[in-house]
Amino acid sequence: MVSTTHAAVGVSRPRDKGGRPPRPSRRAVLAVAAVGLSTALTGTLSACSAASGDTSGITLRFSWWGNDDRAARTEKAIRLFEKEHPGVTVRTSNGDFTSYLQKLATQAAGGGVPDVVQLDYRQISQYAGGKAIMPLDGVIEDRTIRTSDMDKDFLRTGTYQGRQFALPMGRGITGYAYDSAVYRQAGIPTPQPSWTWQDWAKANKKIAALGMKSPDGRHFTGANDGGGNEDVFETWLRGRGKNLYADQTKLGFTEDDLTAFWSFLNTLREEGAIAQARDTVQAKSTETSPIGRRLGAADFTWDAPFPGYTALLGENIHFAPVPTTGGHQGTYFKPSMLLGIGSRSKHPKEAAQLIDFLLNDPRAGDILGFSRSTPPNRKIAARVAKTLEGAEREIYDYAQTMEKYGLDIPPTAPPPGDLAIQTAFKRIHQRMIYGMATPREAAREFIDEANRELRS
Amino acid sequence: MNIATKRWLPHTVSAAALLVLLYPLAWLLATSLKPADEVMTSLDLWPSHLEWSNYTTALDGVSGVTVTHLLGNTLLIAGGAVLGNVLSCSLAAYAFARLRFRMSKVMFAFMVATLMLPHHVVLIPQYIIFNRLGLVDSFWPLILPKFLATEAFFVFLIVQFMRGLPRELEESARIDGCGPFRTYWSITLPLARPALITTAIFTFIWTWNDFFTQMIYLFAPEKYTITLALSSFVDQSSTSAYGPMFAMSVISVLPIVLFFFVFQRYLVQGMATSGLKG
Amino acid sequence: MSTVSTTRAPARTVRTTDPRPRRSKRRPVRERQWPAYVFLSPWMIGAVVLTLVPMAVSLYLSFTDYNLFDPPHWVGLRNYREMLTEDPRYWRSVGTTMLYVVVAVPLKLGLALGVAMLLKSLSRGRGFYRSAFYAPSLLGASMSIALVWKALFNDGGTVAGVLDAVGIHTGGWVGNPHLAVYGVVLLTVWQFGAPMVIFLAGLQQISPDLYEAAALDGAGRRRQFMSITVPMLSPVVFFNLVLEVINSFQVFTPAFAISGGDGGPADSTMFYTLYLYERGFTASHMGYAAAMAWLLLIAVGAITLILFRTSRSWVFYADEEGR
Repeated sequence: MVSTTHAAVGVSRPRDKGGRPPRPSRRAVLAVAAVGLSTALTGTLSACSAASGDTSGITLRFSWWGNDDRAARTEKAIRLFEKEHPGVTVRTSNGDFTSYLQKLATQAAGGGVPDVVQLDYRQISQYAGGKAIMPLDGVIEDRTIRTSDMDKDFLRTGTYQGRQFALPMGRGITGYAYDSAVYRQAGIPTPQPSWTWQDWAKANKKIAALGMKSPDGRHFTGANDGGGNEDVFETWLRGRGKNLYADQTKLGFTEDDLTAFWSFLNTLREEGAIAQARDTVQAKSTETSPIGRRLGAADFTWDAPFPGYTALLGENIHFAPVPTTGGHQGTYFKPSMLLGIGSRSKHPKEAAQLIDFLLNDPRAGDILGFSRSTPPNRKIAARVAKTLEGAEREIYDYAQTMEKYGLDIPPTAPPPGDLAIQTAFKRIHQRMIYGMATPREAAREFIDEANRELRS
Repeated sequence: MNIATKRWLPHTVSAAALLVLLYPLAWLLATSLKPADEVMTSLDLWPSHLEWSNYTTALDGVSGVTVTHLLGNTLLIAGGAVLGNVLSCSLAAYAFARLRFRMSKVMFAFMVATLMLPHHVVLIPQYIIFNRLGLVDSFWPLILPKFLATEAFFVFLIVQFMRGLPRELEESARIDGCGPFRTYWSITLPLARPALITTAIFTFIWTWNDFFTQMIYLFAPEKYTITLALSSFVDQSSTSAYGPMFAMSVISVLPIVLFFFVFQRYLVQGMATSGLKG
Repeated sequence: MSTVSTTRAPARTVRTTDPRPRRSKRRPVRERQWPAYVFLSPWMIGAVVLTLVPMAVSLYLSFTDYNLFDPPHWVGLRNYREMLTEDPRYWRSVGTTMLYVVVAVPLKLGLALGVAMLLKSLSRGRGFYRSAFYAPSLLGASMSIALVWKALFNDGGTVAGVLDAVGIHTGGWVGNPHLAVYGVVLLTVWQFGAPMVIFLAGLQQISPDLYEAAALDGAGRRRQFMSITVPMLSPVVFFNLVLEVINSFQVFTPAFAISGGDGGPADSTMFYTLYLYERGFTASHMGYAAAMAWLLLIAVGAITLILFRTSRSWVFYADEEGR
């Protein structure tokens, strides 16, 4: 209940000596009545129209998350699909990532998820295991959804217990956005695919030693503190030949591994080589990250958001590989998002056609572009890449370079608890950088929590 | 202390306190008119020039849904909630205050006990029920409960008020042959108007400001309320969009401010006459 | 609220001392009763379908591992055991909520009382000030104001700027786990309108005769406050206290909006209900969340009971109306 609750209690004793019961003005009463009446009418009307919808043909529900640009492109592609499939109407619903996840989870609870759903890599196990989405092997076999132009290893990211439940819609890769002007000034060579975490630490110290100041007079550091970012830790771990998860119920690393990772960053932070705690907790977007606030020279990020950095900070920002351990690259091609079909869909065939259209139709490919990272269909990717320039060209070339350098195959979809584990990672890291826990205590707390999450 | 100081001191203190307390509201208004580069960098309250484009940007809304549409949705929900609460709570209250029936005291006690029930206890099952009924992602989960008098606070409020009303009129109506429904509709309800309007006002404001229920039940952007839109606006945009964001904030609180101005005399009078003794 | 404890006894009486022979009075009783049930039917449907059944279901779910996807499995007391013995975050959320209640409630009530007394001393313009002081309470529960708050208390915001100017360097409060919770506290305190109005009403009911008599006896203002205002106002204080405490335990929106939904930084604004929401809706542990909700219900009930018990020793009722 809202805190103003008791304010109104006053009225409950109108006969008290305080005065006669207050009378609202006639106008005020009328206003309330008018609001009530008009909404009563419109309420029933709109509720009816919302419930009945278009009954003449098939209505597919398609929900996804993303920004306005992605929204506009997706809508455009869907209009084209509708035009080519008369009688099929696609009702879309989108939102921002966090609330999208919650909505989808609650939809899964009772009524079932929409016909076509965009899913995060971390949701696959949960949704497949909980039978919220259906296996797609049948529609792939009968070529309703064509997968011939996609990479087999990459398709594996949408499998659960050996069956294909979702198809990747975009291929993303982690990287490192850095300010090449600062690197030049500090005399640091251009980062190569084989550069190591030690090189990275040295670079940060050199930059910090320049003694530069941010516009608001703060100390300028080498990079953001990637310690709260599970993706960065995963890359670090894979560079050492380990994985986040051994299987669906077990972590693939130990308390010592995480302690080592956090201690390494902790030292750099204490030396002032990377971002301070108060700036790390604030970093929620490109603008609020240390590099965006001109407090630091670099940021761990993904390929898809990279063009946002150059748009904000200028042409000096370039995209480099994440550091390695002894030249062993830990990064891998990860589905930026996947598409699945709700298990209770009444129109699985049409849903499959929509997925095929979005993934394989060249015109849809042209419309969607790189709005969901590199299209997984090689032909479409190559076709769209020809039109790319600037930052988008750079990330496309980066992906090519990394593929040539050699990357380990991607792991299968993470276990159901991974969403919670990912937020735990960030939160416990925050506790550590604010001195509420030592790296070892923090690592232990994380392992405990993750194990609890994986067990249930 | 001389008389003059004695008289002016409270005024001065009140005015000073008010300045501090209303600062955040002034800040909101000022920021909604600031150019993008001044929003988080300048501590000056007053914008260097008035950036009305913040408002035109805000009016475009979120995800292709205009602010007018969002306001319409919110008004629909708030209006439905007002109607539901006034109707159902006054019906139940009349029974509790005026009619005799078996188990009345048990039921009344239960009703009062639900006042303290944390919303979260029933949240998940309620969600499952509405989901099974296929009503999630519609306005029904937000309006229907109001027609079932689930807000015990208002039932309690109206009961207390009705108990304070003189019985004579109702009794003479009964002697004239009015049944309980006639009596309720044409005698008690008009007399209970202050309580009903208090119910209406608070229902309106709380529903307007509500975030949690709306967040859980509404998915499609075209069903969003202004509060949800504001929240997703924040998630989607960067600091550069602060101006439009706060312009939208102003738009979203405007109806409450208007409501407050229309009813404030009634509101505070109603509260001030309270004879609370425990 | 006070009716809870009292109505229970009469309710029992009704059942046991209703000696009317059923048969002979059957018709008239029925005639008198059915309209009542018609009037009550919306409420009864709501009470059963939206309150009683959900309560039973959530109690059941609290003993299961329900995760929204798979059918619930009975796990006995595991959720409760895990919560109380294995989950450090649970206790941290309890601690954060307690801190919030203990700091915010007295501050809010103190400010409300202070302003109410100030308003009472005004000879003119009381109505205007009363409305103006109430305004933040109307707007304060909204998302917009939470966003304003976030901006005011952020790095580079007004609060840090003003404090800097007077030599206190706090930086932004929102990003600092030691300060973030106080930002939420201040937002709550800022909305002191409701208790203020009730205090004012209470103050206006204290007979001026009492003060005059005390003044004649030579009591100073302070003495008058302690021996007249405080005891005469104690029922109102109690009423406000109970409501504020119950509400404060359920604080959600301000913390959600200011922290961007994650109760951060480092869980420093992870209040009980926020954690409950995170467990249930973000991490899909509905069984665990249901168990948390039930413990909250029990705790709120127990605290209300304690408040009522202790009230006997400090709440002064002038007449028999004290219930």
